[in-house]
This record gives sequence, structure tokens and C-alpha cells, in this order.
Amino acid sequence: MSHLTETAPAAATPMPAKATAPPPAGAPSPEELMAELRIKPRPQIFRKVPPSWQTFLSNKAGVAGLLILAVFIVAALLAPVISPYDPYRRAGKPHVQPGVEHFLGTSRQGKDIFSQLLEGGRTSLTVGFVAGLSATLIGVAIGISAGYFSGKTDEILTFFVNVSLVLPALPLIIVFASFVEEASPTVIGLVLAFTGWGWSARTIRTQTLAIKNREFILAAELMGESKWRIVLREILPNMSSFVVGGFVLATIYAILAEAGLEFIGLGSPSSVTWGTMLYWAQRAQALQTGAWWEVWPPAFAIMITGAALVLVNFAVDEITSPQLRAARLGGRIRRFLKRRGRSVDVF
Amino acid sequence: MRFLLRRLGFYLAAFFVAITLNFFIPRLMPGDPTTRIFLALRGKLRPDQMDSLRKAYGLEGSLLDQYLAYLWKLAHFDFGVSTVNFPEPTASLLFYAAGWTLFLVGVATALSFVIGVSMGIYAAWHRGGFFDSFFTPINVMMNAFTPAVVALLLWYGFTMEWTVFPLGRAHDINLVPAWDLQSAANIVWHAVLPVASIVLVSFGAWHLGMRNTMINLVNEDFVVLAKAKGLSDRRIRYRYAARNAILPQITSLALSIGYIFGGAFIAEIVFNYPGLGKFTLNAIQTRDYSFIQAQLILLTASVLIANLASDILNVIFDPRLRTGSRH
Repeated sequence: MSHLTETAPAAATPMPAKATAPPPAGAPSPEELMAELRIKPRPQIFRKVPPSWQTFLSNKAGVAGLLILAVFIVAALLAPVISPYDPYRRAGKPHVQPGVEHFLGTSRQGKDIFSQLLEGGRTSLTVGFVAGLSATLIGVAIGISAGYFSGKTDEILTFFVNVSLVLPALPLIIVFASFVEEASPTVIGLVLAFTGWGWSARTIRTQTLAIKNREFILAAELMGESKWRIVLREILPNMSSFVVGGFVLATIYAILAEAGLEFIGLGSPSSVTWGTMLYWAQRAQALQTGAWWEVWPPAFAIMITGAALVLVNFAVDEITSPQLRAARLGGRIRRFLKRRGRSVDVF
Repeated sequence: MRFLLRRLGFYLAAFFVAITLNFFIPRLMPGDPTTRIFLALRGKLRPDQMDSLRKAYGLEGSLLDQYLAYLWKLAHFDFGVSTVNFPEPTASLLFYAAGWTLFLVGVATALSFVIGVSMGIYAAWHRGGFFDSFFTPINVMMNAFTPAVVALLLWYGFTMEWTVFPLGRAHDINLVPAWDLQSAANIVWHAVLPVASIVLVSFGAWHLGMRNTMINLVNEDFVVLAKAKGLSDRRIRYRYAARNAILPQITSLALSIGYIFGGAFIAEIVFNYPGLGKFTLNAIQTRDYSFIQAQLILLTASVLIANLASDILNVIFDPRLRTGSRH
């Protein structure tokens, strides 16, 4: 510990030596440079969160995505409180235009679109997140076990991972959903969870293989830690960004797949989700009859949720692969150099 | 060679798993097609007719006997008789639909690959620039828009609001498709919207994949060396960076070519296109098991063959795999 404190001042001494060279005339001050590059000093709060969170929070798009998701989740949670009508029952005449009485109009069957949108968000988001979470959990469990307990375990598990990756998932889901009468959102979510874990299992396995020969794992093994403890306390925390990235992708996949399945009529038509809302709108020929308000609310809800998740995924990707973050931030420097007529080849 | 043989063995095993699942899933589910026909005819069938129906559908004998008979038939490309379009053999329906799907999804896949990869190259080369910071997120977000929404938007916009394109189908009803210019024009005109609806939601993935792979390459030593040698910007961009970044994309392209036979469910349903997606959905709604099974086998086979093709391509392009150092 003591030698560290001794070297610290020594390292600092060369600094003034460099700075003594007088700046060329007309050169911008550091403050001006920061202003031109649009760099702001990091807020103090940033220092209190872990580095990967700092990376995430410095990405405005990712934060925006997270905020949009938060709004949707709060709206879904509060659905029973804010819904003006029962989403499952008739609330007025068929195809009432959006107005004071019905905020987003009514469907062909006279159900209130706004209440259905909230209730649909509740189901669709729950199915999406639960299916995404379960798929990730399965993927992580299988991926880590395959990577860490190599040998026979790895061979058998990798075989199943490869089979699940190679077998076409969506048609399988469609066929599976068709064999159970009335695929309720729960059934769809379960099927999606059991078909969507392949990719995270593969990436997690590769990551585990990369990590497991590092010194800190060896140290833990030599200290006689149990294998499960090593997996949970040493390996897993080092893969959190891969796990989160896999979760976000699995959730996008689950939300889109659920909506798609229900739209083509393989879901249970009596449930209220964004997918079934689209299904009923299509059946009622809402677009042909000019009832746009029956189609666009669920459509945009799905689009915005998907877009928000993509933004979050972009930010998580930057944690996983620092080159991507460097590319984004490097853009400012390249533009800055271009404006000053310098070569941008260095980046 | 050993690598390829091992992969081939794996694909054969996977195919076996798939056809076994394909055999057991329908049989584990409640209700068999004969019972459905029996119910549909309100009990007008005699027991011996029931038995012959069972025999026709291969539902006779013990489960093991059925399984062996099923394998035997598969080996002879005999997919049985369609339950719904009764005398029609399933195979002829399947190949009719597969033809249209191959055209529709094949064109869409090729277009989205070309568009996405070129955009990815541009974005990676000018990384952090306006195009990259604006279009990369937008394109990937389009990837997360549901195909249903995009197809509906296009359909509404270009057939209802502006009646530019036809409402649906692969060609005019009174047109008999032939290999001439008039049919070709008609078919292409009908395919514009469905193809666009698929391309719009799929090119973003190529864009992102190409961009991210290439960004990780442009700072590699060989690119820096090429710059130092004073090679032209164009040459470095395409021959050095893009040439290497495209390898993983070619692997995924091979896989998506395999998935073509999955059909484009949503585009085919919205635009009433006579492809595999529409036929499969129809078969599901009418419980035409033989069609569903045949479609699944066609899809599994094509996906596995595409995987094998991508392995072979990788061995050709990536010398490291030839020594067997990776698996």
C-alpha cells in the first residue's frame, strides 16, 4: 500500500513539464475546445454508480428508451385505476370517433379503445417481459453450465443449444399454438420462453469459455470455493451486460412474436392484448371503413415499445463492446477535425 | 474435412429430432383428424370407413408401427393426402405455395441484404457521422416495428388512400401465369407492396450487423497499414474492411435463405398472397395435419441444408477453420 502513495506524486511531476510549452497564438483554451466539442463535465452523481451504469447513463438515447418504457409500464400497472371503462365489455356504440366520451373512440364491438390499450399493454408487456426473462434465465443457466463444466456436460448441452438454434422457432410456435385450443397469452409466453433461449445460451457459453481461464477464477478455485459459488459470484457478475443485452433482445422478440401470432389469429380472441386488438381491427375491416382509431393506437404502442427497447439495447451494446461507444463519441472529434480542415484518418 | 463431417453428423441428428417431434406433437395433442372428419359428417361414417380413413392417414397400429411407416413414407417424399382439399396430394399444394414464397421472400431477402449491408458499410466508414447517428437507430427501430403494423400501413396507404398498387394476390385473377413479359410485369407489380413490407422490417438487422462488425475491424492493424501504404479510400473500405466484415453476414444470409420456406405469414395474409404462410395458416385453422407436417419438414430440411452451406462457405473463406482449431 505504501509504495503506491509514494509513486503518486512522482507520476504527477512530468505533467507541469509538458504544460510549460507556451500555447500557440490563437489556440483555443480548453474551455472553448470543450464547448466546440460539446463536452460537458460529468455530473457528480455519475461517480456514485458503477462504471457500466455510467456508460449507460451517458447514452441519451438509451436513457430515453428507458424512460419511454417506464411510462408504458406505469400506465400498464395503473390500468385498472385509469381505465375509464371495462376493456372486456361494450362501453358505447360501435365505432364512435375519438372525443370527450371515448378518448380514443370505440371498436366495432363498442369497446373503449383507450381502456383496451391500457389493458392490452398490461398483458403484452407482462408476456413480453416474463417470456424474455425466462428465456434469458434458461439461456444463462445452460450457457454457463456448458461453458464452465466442460467435457460431457458441455457436449450434451451444446447439442441442445444447437438444435434449438437450428430448428425454426416461429413456425414451431405457430404449429404448437395451433395444437392447443385457444392459445392464451400465458401459453404463448411459455412457448416463446421455451423457444427463445438459444442465442443467449450461445453468447453466454462463449463468454464463460473466455472468462474461465482468467487468473481470478483460478484463484477462487485454488482457494477451494465451491463450483456453484464460482459460477454465481465470480463468473455471472462479469457477464451482466451480456445477460441484460440478451434479456432486452429476448423481450423484443417475445413482444413482436406475441403480437404477430395474435394478429394472424392464433391467439385467444377473447383476451385483450395489443395483438388481439389488431386482430379484431383487421377483422372488423376498420381501415376500409375509416375507423383508423381502432388500428393505430395498438399499432403505435407496439412500435414505440419496440423502438424504446432497441434504444436500450444500443446503450447496453456499448457497454459490451467499447469499440461501438468509441465510434459514437469519436464522431464528434472527427467532425471537429473536419471543421478545422485537419485529417480525420487518425480515428 | 473432419469439421464438415462432424457438422453433417450434427445436422442429420437435428433433422431426426425434428421429424420425431413432428411425428409426436400432433399425436400427443387431443383429437385426431379422423375424429374431426367423423364429427364433421355428424356420425354418418360406418366403423369400417373410419378404419380405412385411419389407415389413409397412417393412424393404424401401435405407435412404433406408425412411426416406422411415417419414416418410410418420408423417405419416399410421400406427404400423404391433404385432409381438407381431399383428393389433392399434399405435396402438389406444398410445392405450388413454396414457389410463390420462394419468389416473394427470396426477392425480399436479397433486397434487404443488399440495402442493409451497403448502409452498414457506409455507416461504419463514417461512424459517428450524421448518417450513422441518425439512420442506424432508425433502421434498427424499424426492425422492431411489427411486420403486421408495417404491412397494414403500406396496404392502407398504397391500396386504399392512393390506389397505386393492387389490393392483393400474386397476379390478376384472369391472368394465367406464363413466361412472358406481360405476366412478369403483372407479377412484379403485385409483389411490390408485400416485398416492401418484408424489406422494411428486415434490412435494419443487416445494417446493424455489418456496421458493428466493420467498426471492430477499421482500427485493426491491417487497415492502418493499408492507410499508411497510401491505398485509396475506396480500396481500403471495400477490399480490406468490408471484405472481412461481410463474412459473418454471409453466414446469416445462408441461414435466412433457409428460413425462406417459413413463409412470410403476415405479409402473405395482409396481401392475400398464395405462399406457404397463408397456406399453413389455412391448414392450421382447418386442422390439415398432413400439410402442417409436410411444411415443417420442408422448412427444417431447408434450414439444415442452409446451415450446412454456411459451414462450407465458412471453411472456404476462413482458413482458421480448416485446421480445426475452433469448434
